[in-house]
Amino acid sequence: MSIYEYNGSALIAMAGKECVAIASDTRFGVRNQTVWREAQKIFQINNKTFLGLGGLNTDIWTLKETFRFHHNLYALREERDMSPKVFANLVSHVLYSHRFGPYFVSPIVCGLDDDNVPFLCGTDEIGAQEITHDFIATGTAVESLMGVCETFYKENLEPEDLFETISQCLLAGVDRDCLSGWGAVVHVLTKDGITTRKLKMRQD
Amino acid sequence: MENYEQSFNYENCLRNEELTKQGYEKKKQRKTGTTIAGIIFKDGVVLGADTRATEGYIVADGNCEKIHRISDYIYCCGAGTSADTENTTALISSKLELMRLTTGREPRVQNALTLLKQYLYHYHGYVSAALVLGGVDFKGPHLHMIHPHGSTSTLPFLTMGSGSLAAMAVFEAEYKTDLDEESAKNLVHKAITAGIFNDLGSGGNVDLCVMKFQNTQFFRNFDKPNKRKFSRINAYRFPKGTTQFLEEKVTLLRKNLVIENLDKNNNNNDNDNNDNNDNNDL
Amino acid sequence: METVELYNSQEQIVLDDLSEPVKTGTTIMAVQYKGGIVIGADSRTTSGALIVNRVTDKLTPVADKIFSLRSGSAADTQEIAAIVRYYLNILSTEQGKPPTVKMAANLFRQFCYVYKNYLLASIICAGYDETDGPSIYSIPLGGAIIKQPYAIGGSGSTYLYGYCDANFKEDMTKEECVSFVTNAVGLAIARDGSSGGIIRYAIIDSDGVERHTIYGDQVKNYFK
Repeated sequence: MSIYEYNGSALIAMAGKECVAIASDTRFGVRNQTVWREAQKIFQINNKTFLGLGGLNTDIWTLKETFRFHHNLYALREERDMSPKVFANLVSHVLYSHRFGPYFVSPIVCGLDDDNVPFLCGTDEIGAQEITHDFIATGTAVESLMGVCETFYKENLEPEDLFETISQCLLAGVDRDCLSGWGAVVHVLTKDGITTRKLKMRQD
Repeated sequence: MENYEQSFNYENCLRNEELTKQGYEKKKQRKTGTTIAGIIFKDGVVLGADTRATEGYIVADGNCEKIHRISDYIYCCGAGTSADTENTTALISSKLELMRLTTGREPRVQNALTLLKQYLYHYHGYVSAALVLGGVDFKGPHLHMIHPHGSTSTLPFLTMGSGSLAAMAVFEAEYKTDLDEESAKNLVHKAITAGIFNDLGSGGNVDLCVMKFQNTQFFRNFDKPNKRKFSRINAYRFPKGTTQFLEEKVTLLRKNLVIENLDKNNNNNDNDNNDNNDNNDL
Repeated sequence: METVELYNSQEQIVLDDLSEPVKTGTTIMAVQYKGGIVIGADSRTTSGALIVNRVTDKLTPVADKIFSLRSGSAADTQEIAAIVRYYLNILSTEQGKPPTVKMAANLFRQFCYVYKNYLLASIICAGYDETDGPSIYSIPLGGAIIKQPYAIGGSGSTYLYGYCDANFKEDMTKEECVSFVTNAVGLAIARDGSSGGIIRYAIIDSDGVERHTIYGDQVKNYFK
């Protein structure tokens, strides 16, 4: 078994028209036993950047605090927030500095840049970036998530349509993964604000 | 030789080793199972690469960039673990940029080569970056390859990565000295295409980079031989309200427009009637 | 000298595995004649079963009239040669005269001995200097240093011991020596799978260095 399958996770980020959405399941398990149904895997970094972390839960929280620390230092020094692109580079840098003893996480960064253009980026455990313009998925359910995203995704969706699409992708995707599910949360980020919804879904 | 100890953090190594002992296997890191190639032609160098990144047998990225910029006139193709190729080239790129600023001279290819090979040699092949380095400086065109252990070769045409055999077959059959730019581009294109179609680890599109003296042209997706033939006519569309939710929270961003509005008003006033200038200075 | 692994543990041919270190599964040799030396080498560099470079130059200069012939790990030998070249440069500047082959060879020995557990490098250091005339030192894997009238090295050398014992003579002429070296390297190329390509050889005497190549199609075919 891989250590990535110890807790289980499913995450997607998608780009719409001047908006992005990021969704995750909320299961926290220890191998096949579900321990908690309200685990947080998506973290708001600033008004326009979200970070999703899949993988080993202990590393998720360690890294989340590390990133928050670096982001706050940056904000104090520069008197501005990090743009999503800069934050993605921070993630890459922190992960690559642990090249020979990595954290077992697979992060996705999404957000809107200064011109409200969507930014999506995923990395592997040692910080190799993959910047996409449509969608990105990670976690134990990544194979099925990528499959549904490929078919359901459309370009330039409005926030409300993007919410429906990303939600349906996540719900369909986690149905084929034992290690994720048990609740889901979706954040839709537009230039005006953030809408967070907890989804009603099957509990098995 | 600079001290590289600060650059890596080994605090998780013991823990991870313990997890491996307990039977948790390691994850496959993102590799660029790659075809990269370069040739020297009459006026310069052409570099080429495919665009597939793989994790095990999964295509992690179908259109990634494997030709990295070192400086304006030096570029570098990377094969191996993509985090290593990206970070190694970025590190050496920044070192050369600092050098360029302190000396006021364009960096030479030989300089990039030495920095790269000494860095890789330092890590005994654990930083697995296999590189094709090309560039044109005042001494002319240069083409080198660097293996992960730090050994280098200098040749007029070379290939690396899992598709190197397919690409080299093309070069061995067709390479000539003093090719013109167009035929050089076509030859590299043909070699990369051979890698894309004959090697499982390579795929996607063809990237090219043509370097001449003080002149670099980067052709991102020079050719897309693998376009999807079919696209859905009636895409799925979920009517609003399809997804049921239990809770909704809307956080509106504080509109930080006050200062912008003032500026805009000022500008407008300036344009509209110049008599009010005194007031606007406030 | 060194083994070249053609197969990995699963007995599969390793064609292009990046984890496989790049080695010069080599034939190298250096021979003294009256008034100079002739050095020669094949040109194959391999990584597993893949030929990484078929026209490698394994005759690496470290000073004007001193060469190192490299076999073993390409990365290790290139790095050592670069360091020795750097040291010799400083040394000759301090002394105000060119370095001796003995000095160069002892620098190689120093690195190969101190780091013997970390390096895979066996080197022949050969050249001409005003103090000792032509001289050849071989520095095998453990970091010893042996002065010899002729030296052979690399995986291809196993095929050459008999030939060299039978045909080497002290005080050959230049022409005899050249044909001795090129014949020997040709023989090794024919028999050793890890050696091949072209033959590069050089003649070093008091006048300087004269370099030559014999292309693949002109390498003598001993099988007919």
